[in-house]
Amino acid sequence: MTKGKRIRILIAKPGLDGHDRGAKVVARALRNAGMEVIYTGLHQTPLQIVNAAIDEDVDAIGLSILSGAHKTIFPKIMVLLKEKGISDMLVFGGGTIPRKDWEGLKKIGVGEIFTPGSGTSKIINYLNRTLRRDKNV
Amino acid sequence: MSKLFKNDTIEELREKEDQWQKEFYPTEKDQQFFKTLSGIPIEPLYTPKDIADMDYLRDLGFPGDEPFIRGVYPSMYRGQSWTLRQLAGFGPPEETNKRYKFLLEQGATGINGVFDYPTLRGYDSTDPHAYADAGRGGVAIDTLEDMRILFHGIPIEKISTSLVTCQPICNISIQSMYIANAQNRGVPLNELTGTSQNDFLMETAITIAPEVLPPKASFKLSCDAIEYCAKHVPRWNPISFAGYNYREAGCSATQEVAFVLANAIACTEELIKRGLDVDSFAPRLSFFFSAHSDFFEEIAKYRAARRIWYRIMKERFKAKDTRSLALRFHVQTAGVSLTAQQPLNNTARAAYQALSAVLGGAQSIHVDAYDEALCTPTELSSLTALRTQQILQQETRVTNTVDPLGGSYFVESLTNQLGDRIVALLEEIDEMGGIVKAVEKGWIHKEISNEAYAYQRAIESGEMSIVGVNCYKIENEKLPVELFDVPETLQIQEKKIKKIKKERNSLQAQRALDDIARCCDEDKNLMEVIVDSVKAYITEGEISKTLKMSYGTWNPPVF
Repeated sequence: MTKGKRIRILIAKPGLDGHDRGAKVVARALRNAGMEVIYTGLHQTPLQIVNAAIDEDVDAIGLSILSGAHKTIFPKIMVLLKEKGISDMLVFGGGTIPRKDWEGLKKIGVGEIFTPGSGTSKIINYLNRTLRRDKNV
Repeated sequence: MSKLFKNDTIEELREKEDQWQKEFYPTEKDQQFFKTLSGIPIEPLYTPKDIADMDYLRDLGFPGDEPFIRGVYPSMYRGQSWTLRQLAGFGPPEETNKRYKFLLEQGATGINGVFDYPTLRGYDSTDPHAYADAGRGGVAIDTLEDMRILFHGIPIEKISTSLVTCQPICNISIQSMYIANAQNRGVPLNELTGTSQNDFLMETAITIAPEVLPPKASFKLSCDAIEYCAKHVPRWNPISFAGYNYREAGCSATQEVAFVLANAIACTEELIKRGLDVDSFAPRLSFFFSAHSDFFEEIAKYRAARRIWYRIMKERFKAKDTRSLALRFHVQTAGVSLTAQQPLNNTARAAYQALSAVLGGAQSIHVDAYDEALCTPTELSSLTALRTQQILQQETRVTNTVDPLGGSYFVESLTNQLGDRIVALLEEIDEMGGIVKAVEKGWIHKEISNEAYAYQRAIESGEMSIVGVNCYKIENEKLPVELFDVPETLQIQEKKIKKIKKERNSLQAQRALDDIARCCDEDKNLMEVIVDSVKAYITEGEISKTLKMSYGTWNPPVF
């Protein structure tokens, strides 16, 4: 990526869980912070999400999960990314993901987890910091 | 005429009040902090002057009588308590059946059954889309056999059941299975009591997923269930306009009520168009509201909704049956207000919210469990939520008299103001051509999205306080509660589906699906057919696929 390019983020709702208020609010906040955001809507399979991320050439994927299925979905996404030869895409998450599960997720390469009550500014700062450092955007 | 105050009284008061205001409130500073959650400005004090135009009989009346603002029944909770209807559902039906029985043993007086994400969205547990979601957020139901297991040993002829089916594509299968199961158990349909959610906005506007049923088709399915019940299951509430969920998605109190009423108006118009008399179905239209944290605004909201619905039914639809005019509603305390931080605080939050529902005259209530921002409720958190209701019901004595806040200068004034805003919004939707149009053009999605974003900004700016989140925080808090783990579901459901598909009469199953497809083509009432079709042990997923083949799919706009 060249310097000065806008950060591109895919906000995705994997699975059939219908709680998408958070995902929509985060998508809008990131957009207002100057990022380019693609929001998938609900019902996405891990493969659809990974394909969309590649097609859209995003810098990061934000997964919103409020169903409790995070321990199944994150690993699947990480494996699919690896299979597709993608190693530099940040995957972060939000939703009802208990702290006790964070370590396991971080071990497989997942970035920050934002639980209910996290401010959107925290997410914006995190993305700016991480993506600009890692990629020299 | 039964005006509340004489003009002289008001004039005299006005003078005194002006003096008082000049002395104690000389400037307008800090006004911006005193407003309701939906933004209605609040005065330091309310007096008769604020409700000077009210006429007792026209605007308040008596409980159980027009305009129903003071309650839908004459004796309200003195005669019968609200129903203690705690939401429950997780894993396979075998597990949820145990939780239902546990709650009933502990004094719950109705079942509030929630279904897992695949079931709500019309998928079988084994569908590739259901990847990782079977048994999550509710109970997994694939076939009539699951419905049998779910209610095994529960007297469905006595206990009323709320089926939280959310959208019509789920409801048309799940409610049909409930009815078919009752028939198999020999329970006459005119004895069945309960409610199904069945709200088309749930899949077309509240949550945004691609490839859902188009708004018109979803709306049709919803009306099919209402028509079917009016004819065959007379004590069933075939729709619960899900204002609660609209609120959870971001709506303000005003939008919550305006959108449900607009939806109810559309259904009423459609059923009248189908040739039904308004009084044959309107008594069974039911409503579902949120109890959010602005205590008085919520009370005003329930009261305003009753009066507006009464006027709509009476003036617009010329309903005559008292039960058509009376808006009955279930309340759930606001999930969106729950915090993952210091979760035990949620018990206090939900208790205040439930109190507002009782003071607002709710017919049934679910109190959220303290751990719902973290996981599916545990047995302990579910029990504490039920006990919160029982404390309210048995200890506080708020049930002693009907509508105890009726006549409060503040509450009546707020009820009027909120009512005016709701009516204005309803008119806007009417001008647009009604709720189905408002959905098709994406207007409603935008409204909800704007409001949800404004709410989040208010929290982040500190304008709105959330204890434990933006004030009174505890850094590195140790979670004081145990988290629930959903039991293994997919394997159990997969096994059952395989067995059923192997053992069912495949010719009959195919014929059942063909009947559904033909019914779509001929534009007939689908529930009439699906109640029988599910007895051939076709799966929910097979039914949904058939419906989507016939009606096509729709991608709602994203904002």
